[in-house]
Order: sequence, then structure tokens, then C-alpha cells
Amino acid sequence: MSLIDAEIGRKYKIVSISGGFLSKGRLLRLGVTPGSIIELKRAAPLSGPLMINVNGSDIVIGRGVAKKVVIEEIV
Amino acid sequence: MKQIRIALIGQPNCGKSTLFNQIAGYRSLTANFPGATVTYIKGKTYIGNDLVEIVDLPGTYSLSWYDDAEKEAVKALFSMDIDVIVNIVDASTLIRSIEMTLELMCLGKPMVMALNMMDEAERKGIIIDTKKLSDALGIKVVPIIAKKGKGVKELLQTLKNASPPTKECIYSEEIESKIENLEQCIGENIKDKNWPVKMMAIKSIEGFKPISDMIENTPCRDELIKARKSLDNGNEIEKERHALCMDIFEDTSKLKKIRTKNSEEKIDSILMHPVLGYLVMFVLFLGVFYIVFQGGTPVENIFIDIFDKIDAFLVSAIPNKLVFSITKGAVDGIGAAIGIALPYLVPFLFIISFFEDVGYLPRVAYLMDSVLHKMGVHGTSVISFVVGYGCSVPAVMATRILKSKKEKIIAAFLASLVPCSARSTVIMGLVGYFLGYMYVIPLYMFNLVVIVISGMILKRLLPGISPEMVLDIPPYRIPSLKTVILKTWLKIKDFVYVAVPLLVAGSVLLAVISYYHLDDYINMAFEPLLSGVLGLPAAVGVVLIFGVFRKELTLLMLYQALGLSSAALVNTVMSTQQMLVFTIFVMFYIPCVATIAVLKREVGLKYSLYITIGTFVLAVILSYFVKIIISII
Ligand SMILES: Nc1nc2c(ncn2[C@@H]2O[C@H](COP(=O)(O)OP(=O)(O)OP(=O)(O)O)[C@@H](O)[C@H]2O)c(=O)[nH]1
Ligand SMILES: [Mg+2]
Repeated sequence: MSLIDAEIGRKYKIVSISGGFLSKGRLLRLGVTPGSIIELKRAAPLSGPLMINVNGSDIVIGRGVAKKVVIEEIV
Repeated sequence: MKQIRIALIGQPNCGKSTLFNQIAGYRSLTANFPGATVTYIKGKTYIGNDLVEIVDLPGTYSLSWYDDAEKEAVKALFSMDIDVIVNIVDASTLIRSIEMTLELMCLGKPMVMALNMMDEAERKGIIIDTKKLSDALGIKVVPIIAKKGKGVKELLQTLKNASPPTKECIYSEEIESKIENLEQCIGENIKDKNWPVKMMAIKSIEGFKPISDMIENTPCRDELIKARKSLDNGNEIEKERHALCMDIFEDTSKLKKIRTKNSEEKIDSILMHPVLGYLVMFVLFLGVFYIVFQGGTPVENIFIDIFDKIDAFLVSAIPNKLVFSITKGAVDGIGAAIGIALPYLVPFLFIISFFEDVGYLPRVAYLMDSVLHKMGVHGTSVISFVVGYGCSVPAVMATRILKSKKEKIIAAFLASLVPCSARSTVIMGLVGYFLGYMYVIPLYMFNLVVIVISGMILKRLLPGISPEMVLDIPPYRIPSLKTVILKTWLKIKDFVYVAVPLLVAGSVLLAVISYYHLDDYINMAFEPLLSGVLGLPAAVGVVLIFGVFRKELTLLMLYQALGLSSAALVNTVMSTQQMLVFTIFVMFYIPCVATIAVLKREVGLKYSLYITIGTFVLAVILSYFVKIIISII
């Protein structure tokens, strides 16, 4: 599943980040890397961005970017 | 002996400028969002008896820059002949910060880590063993709290004997063996004095364009392709580096369970709420103008009275007509600056500074992102717009944190349509003062609507795409009164030292040219447009010209140009309709010279001309439109 399918308030593990898009480097630098645990905190209305928490920092990501972040549920 | 030059470098929002201000005096604007500083700023200080130079740089997450602000930081680091690197690190985001530290270490320069925000790390329950961290990295680590000035002395002492990292940049054997050939080839074929060879190899494998372009036309091209393949386009390297950072973090830090009282979560759940969030934002927006208006008008009244008395005294004291005109021009210039501009500027800039420091703007970026999409920009450009209510110059410069050219151009154009505080003095001091608050709010709303529509049109006109935002949301921080005051002063300083003298000179000049009736020629040239089309008094022509130099002058010289003895009399010669049309025109027409200059630097000559002409056309159309609407009502 991808990050845009995540449920608010739940934690997930990042599996991979697909594609060579422009902001990928920044995403990695902010700690959104394969293997990290993230929590989806909130989503802005009208297909606005998502806010996630990773390593204790809040990060806002546009939906188009979020689509490329592949996650899995933590069991 | 050569003066030592020290560069402050680190990730955005880690407190570089705050530290700089502690060391070199308050000269760099700080704010609680990533990307507050977009250009380097130099300062000086003594360490012991030695005078050293300190450079504050824009923040960057990595040496492989992503936007223009980051590029500026890396370019400065490379080109400025830096002797010592101070790597500022936000202790509360240690893991990701170490990645940057590792990169800097690979440059092999004398380096010290300033571990900042120790107070916040503690609050978050992160306990860092600085001794262990220092050993793990092979550089000196000094814990500081820049905001309170704690640890700054120790840091400066440590800087004196800074040495290069004792550890080398080495990856695992597997990775080293895969980049070996590329490294060797680069070493033989490409001469670059800034980038270490290994870093070039890694950056090119990771797809950092400026470096891979350097390799493109050399024999190393094939090696690069091979290395990319074997290292999964650099993902393998990234993974290892990240794992290393995690390891260092885990070895040197402990996470203490803290009682999760988390007031921050609660505030966010209101301010970022899908409905309430927008409501609060709207109320705050109106509230700011209301406070500025309520605070400014009574003060304006007091000063107008005082300067009217001085003027009256001058009439009786100076018999010579020309001398009188000149003196009155000078006095009125000062009076206008103190009496009309400052009462609005001070509270306005104070409130904007406060908002910047609290950390509300990144939240607004989150809320506004989807609306801004329709205008061809993203949430991050909110920073430009809000800064724009203060001054258009830093607002245009703030577009450096935007990635694409298209987004930059649109944001720069729209930011220059935002009424800066100088233009707000016209809105407040003319419309607000004579017509009341109920006219002020619709004007700001009208301005917003025009900005949104212009954005939507520009989005369709300009080619290209804008990559979506990825923005770090900092915690809320309560600014100290001192910081906000100093920051407000730094912003007003420019008004006091540049605008006021210009205003006085302008007033005197205007007094002289009207004494000899030269202004008639200027006004005559503009009469067809200003009087004919817009129905304004012809005398405003010369005022609008002065306004291109500094926007404040448009209001401050207005009553002088209209031949009035006091600012309180403007409503005797201008109707409600004329005041509104004039204000709309001033709100949009031609950015001031300083803004045009930064526009040229940020978006190039061609687009800065388009923007300049565009705003003029927009001003004419909109003020004509408003004139028609008012005459219908
Ligand atoms: N709690 C705490 N806050 C700090 C400390 N140092 C700086 N800050 C705050 O952190 C925010 C960012 O500070 P800046 O100095 O503007 O950060 P910067 O590194 O220059 O940021 P950019 O220019 O955007 O890269 C401001 O709101 C500061 O008040 C500190 O030691 N503790
Ligand atoms: Mg800064």
C-alpha cells in the first residue's frame, strides 16, 4: 500500500520509495527512509498534504509525493 | 596574520542565525521555519584578542542542494575560503542531522559541532552523551542553547583550537569496492577544488545533477553507469549512511519516557483542524489588521496635531517664501515618517515578527497547500506571502526555498502584489483614517482575491511543473520579547535610515519643484491616465513617481502635493471614491526599486520586467474597475 492509503493515527513501516522524483532526496534527508517507522497524523482537506511523524519530527508531504512512498502495516 | 573565517552551517531551522546573533550582535533575521535565512550574512567578533569573521549561512539538509537557498549555502561554503566549520545541530533531531555532519566531515576542514537546542532535546526526553558523540564522530562537540546564549563562550574557546575530524570517510568494504573505479577515474579526469573525489563519486551515483553533469562528458561516464547499477542508484549508499547515523544515535543517546502531556498536539489539533484551522487563520488575519488599525490611528492623530502646530509656527517665523517651502517640506517629511508611517509600521512588523517566531507559518503552509496548488505554487510559498506583508524585498528572496522556476516566478509575482507594510500605511493612514475600518478589510480581501485569480491565470500561462512540497514542521516556540523587539527594529532600521532621509529629501525636492511650478509638467504628462481615466486629482502624478522609490512616499507626500497644510485635510480635496481608487492603484502598481532589483536577481531580467509591467497594467485595470463599481453604487 502507499502512504495515501494510510489511516490517521496508525503507525506504518516504510518499505520503499519509488521513482526518481525531485523531492526524493529531501524526503530521505528528513528521515523518511525505507525501514523507518512513521505515523500518519493528519490529512488536510481537499486533497491537501499529509502530516506524518518520523523520529519525533513532524513532516508535511504533498499527496503526489506520498503516493510514491510504499508502506506496510506493523503487526 | 590572516583573519580567521568561521562558517555556521547546519540544517534549516537548527538555530544558526540565533547563534550568529549571540556572537556578532543582532543582524540576521531568525524565524521558526526552515528557510528563514536565504543569503549569507557576515559578522565579526573577538575570541580572546583575535578578531574573527563569522558567516551565517542558509540552512541545508545536505551538500547536494535541492533549492536555491541550499545552493547559496554550499556555494558560500566552497567559495569563501572558510577556515573553521561550525556545524550547528538541532539536538532534538539528531539522527537526520548527523547525515549532514558526516558529509561536512568528509571535507576534511577544521570543524566543531555545536549541539544546539539542548533544552528542547531534554523536553523531548532525549539525553545525549556529548563525550561519546564526540568520540564516535572524531570532532569536538559543544552543547549549547543558542536562544539563551548558554555554552556560546565554551564554543568560541573550542573554535580557537579546532582541528579536522580524526575519523575518515569510509563506507563498508562492499560499497567502497563498488565506487573505487569511479573514484579513481574522477581523480584522474576531473579537477575540482571543492568537492572531494569520493564525495563526487557518491553524489553522482545518487543522481545529484550538478555533479553527474560534470561526469557526463568524461571517460568516467561508463563507470558511473556501472556503479549506479550495482548500488541500486545510490539507494545502497543512502541505506548504509542512514544506518550508521542510527547507530551513532543509539550509541550516544538515550530516550527517556516522558509524561506525554503534549500541549503541542492539542494546539495542532485546533490550528490544523480541517474546519477550525481555517476559521482561526481567518480570524487571526483580520485580527492583525484590526489591532494595527486600532493602535495606529490615535497615534497618527497625536502626531498630526503636533506637526500642524510646528507648521503654523513656521508660517509666522519664516517670511521668505522659498526658505519657508523648503523648511516646511523637511519638517513635513519627518512628521509624515514619524506620525503616519511609524504608528502603523511598528505594530505591524512586531506582529509579523511574532508570528514568524512562533512557528505558525508552516502550519499555514499545510492548510493552504491545496488552494495554492490551483495557483501553480505550493504551501511553502505561504512564507513569501506572509513575509510580503512586511516587506516585498525579503518576500521575493524567500522564493529561494521554492524548487521550480515556474513556482518561483509565480510566487515572486504574487508576493509583490501583497501590500507591504509601506503600502499598508496608505491603506491604514488614508482609507482607514478617513473612511474607517469597514473600508480597510474589504481592501485586503479584494487584494487576496486578485492574488488568487492572478495565480490561477499565471499557472496556465507559464510552462513547467512544480514538484510538491516536503516540509519540516518545527515545534511551537515561544519567542522572547527581546528577540521580537530586536527583529522588529532590524526591519524598521531600513525605514529609519533609508526611507526617512529619502522622504525628507523628496519633500524638499517637491517643495522646490512646486515652488517653481515644475510639477505641473509631470502631472500634465500623467493627467490623461490619472485624471482622465481614473478620476484622480492630477497632483498625485508626481507622488506616484516618488512612490516607485519608496512606497511610503505615496501617502506621506500626498498632502504636500495636494497643497494642503495638514494631513488631516486630505478628505477636503479627495472624495471617498478618489481615495479608494488611489489606494487600489498604490496597492498594485509597480514594485519599488529595491523590489525590482531583487526580482531581477531571483527570476531574471525578462520576468522582472514582465512583473513590473504586469503590476502596472493590473493597477490601471483594477482601479478603473473599482471607480466604475463605486460610481454605480
Ligand atoms: N528552544 C530553543 N529554541 C531555539 C534555540 N536556538 C534557536 N531557537 C529557535 O529556533 C528557531 C530557528 O532559529 P534560527 O536561528 O532562525 O534558525 P536557522 O538555523 O538560522 O534557520 P534557517 O535560516 O531557516 O536555516 C527560532 O525560533 C529560534 O528562536 C535553542 O537553543 N533552544
Ligand atoms: Mg538562519
